Amino acid sequence: MTSGVLVSQASDLLVRGRARAAEAVSQPVSVGSAGRQLLLARLPGRNALGLLPYFAFIGVFLLLPIVANVWTSLHDNSGAWSLKSMVKLGEQQYLSAFLNTMALSAVTAVLGGALGLLVAWALATLQHPRWLRSIMLSYSVVASQLGGIPLAFAFIATIGSQGLITIAVFDATGWDLTEIFAVSSFWGLVVVYLYFQVPLMAILVLPAIMGIRREWGESALSLGAGRWRYLTDILLPILSPAIGGAVLLLFANSFSAYATAYALSGGGANLVPILIGFFISGNVLTDQSFGAALATGMMLVITLAMVLRHLLVRRTTRWLQ
Amino acid sequence: MSGTSRIGTGSRSIVQGIVLVTAGLLFAVPLVASASFGFTLPEQGLSLEPIRDAVADSGFAPQVLQSLTLALLTIVASFALLIPTLVWLHLRARRWLPLAEALSVIPFVVPAVALVNGANLAFRVTTPGFLTSVYSLVPFYVILTLPLVYRALDAGLRAIDLRTLCMASASLGSGPVRTFFSIILPNLRAALLTAALLSFTMVLGEYVLATLLLHSTFPVFLVQIGQDRPRAAAGLSLITIVGTWLVLSALTGRGLSKHRTSLPRSPDLRTAS
Repeated sequence: MTSGVLVSQASDLLVRGRARAAEAVSQPVSVGSAGRQLLLARLPGRNALGLLPYFAFIGVFLLLPIVANVWTSLHDNSGAWSLKSMVKLGEQQYLSAFLNTMALSAVTAVLGGALGLLVAWALATLQHPRWLRSIMLSYSVVASQLGGIPLAFAFIATIGSQGLITIAVFDATGWDLTEIFAVSSFWGLVVVYLYFQVPLMAILVLPAIMGIRREWGESALSLGAGRWRYLTDILLPILSPAIGGAVLLLFANSFSAYATAYALSGGGANLVPILIGFFISGNVLTDQSFGAALATGMMLVITLAMVLRHLLVRRTTRWLQ
Repeated sequence: MSGTSRIGTGSRSIVQGIVLVTAGLLFAVPLVASASFGFTLPEQGLSLEPIRDAVADSGFAPQVLQSLTLALLTIVASFALLIPTLVWLHLRARRWLPLAEALSVIPFVVPAVALVNGANLAFRVTTPGFLTSVYSLVPFYVILTLPLVYRALDAGLRAIDLRTLCMASASLGSGPVRTFFSIILPNLRAALLTAALLSFTMVLGEYVLATLLLHSTFPVFLVQIGQDRPRAAAGLSLITIVGTWLVLSALTGRGLSKHRTSLPRSPDLRTAS
């Protein structure tokens, strides 16, 4: 292990030395400037200079907005330090938006996770019609990228008040589907979100499922384990970090979704992203500090999910390379 | 033993087939519905009237054009920022690779609404003219697509032997600029195409930033006409979905034919919704 690292470092140094020599050969430079180059090369931070544009860009357009968000949420609107806005997140009305968003995300993550796992298993083990596999694989990649406005309108055309299925059900039974199952209701949103969550799950866990070796099953069976025991004692422990990580990603994915929910409910859904949208567009009292607190709260929830995912995924790589 | 397992896989293939066909049919329902909703009128049956109506709308052409322009500018800007940075990282500053990569995944944990809110807070006061220009969306779109583009380009650079190529090129007398344009870029073709197509579809579908920063793009137009012309919105949505499908399946088809096990890393990076 250590010697391997040393060898790779040594060859790295060697290659770098050669690259430098090659540069020196290719550019006939005067002795003075060569000496200066050598001197500059010894300065530790010199090579980081080339990264300045990248770091500056990220600093201005990503980190600055994040910092502005957090800073504003920790100050009141007159500019003094205050936790009032963060505490206000706990008020009934806003807490319920957070809980509702989390419930929506959790339900779509767990349901989408289970169904997506089934699809991934079918994709990984389907033997004969290869065309079915490749069609569904490409379909999954595309559907997992869908979302936003077009998906919302597709579902309004399906189960909206004038939708194809709504009308078909009404013609057949005389019963109005939208009375108990409106597309803008909680379960309506669940169905729409599942349209991208299921394929997303399938694509996320497919590599892990394809990493399962046939030998593991054979050795388990030869040691006397039944199929069920093989599933619970071998496969699930190996796959569970990958599954858990993917489910957390689905959670974060639907937690931050805005466009689909907005287009379906016309802004009526009690979800945190929609609330923030109202604060930004000034449809409610302009309380900058509290709008920022909502955004900060969202980032906290998602960061938590992603940190958990990171820890889980690190465990996955132990078995499935 | 082998006999039973062969029978086992054979019979299971039927179950898998059923699972996949069912999933495919369920996935097709909203598409069929929006086709039948968007391309028919109640009394006339099949009709292109709703779509023609929407396309004739004064908002359609400029807003589609706006989205296309933004997508192209985003691709150009993120390539101009990321390709030199990544080449530099791999050649000269490998120590900084982990930090640069860690920064590139931050957009993961920042929902688009939070990014808009932060951008409003940071720039509305300090540089009032900036956010009112529609092109102020470009840097934020670069940020939104950053995890995607960064990983695609990084994977492309890791797949080629950058150092040897550079040395060989230098030993044949080529300067760094020529090496970059005639050696490195052509070798990155596949990665560049992947990154470009993915960020193209993403920017074309982006709604949150555009609407909350009060700019008019294609998704914003779609929502506008959706309010009083749902049939046109459904038809245009179907066209958008099928278009996205064609672009992305060109991508996966190519990826699958080359190496079947490596799926594009894109799906975990969606921000369109």
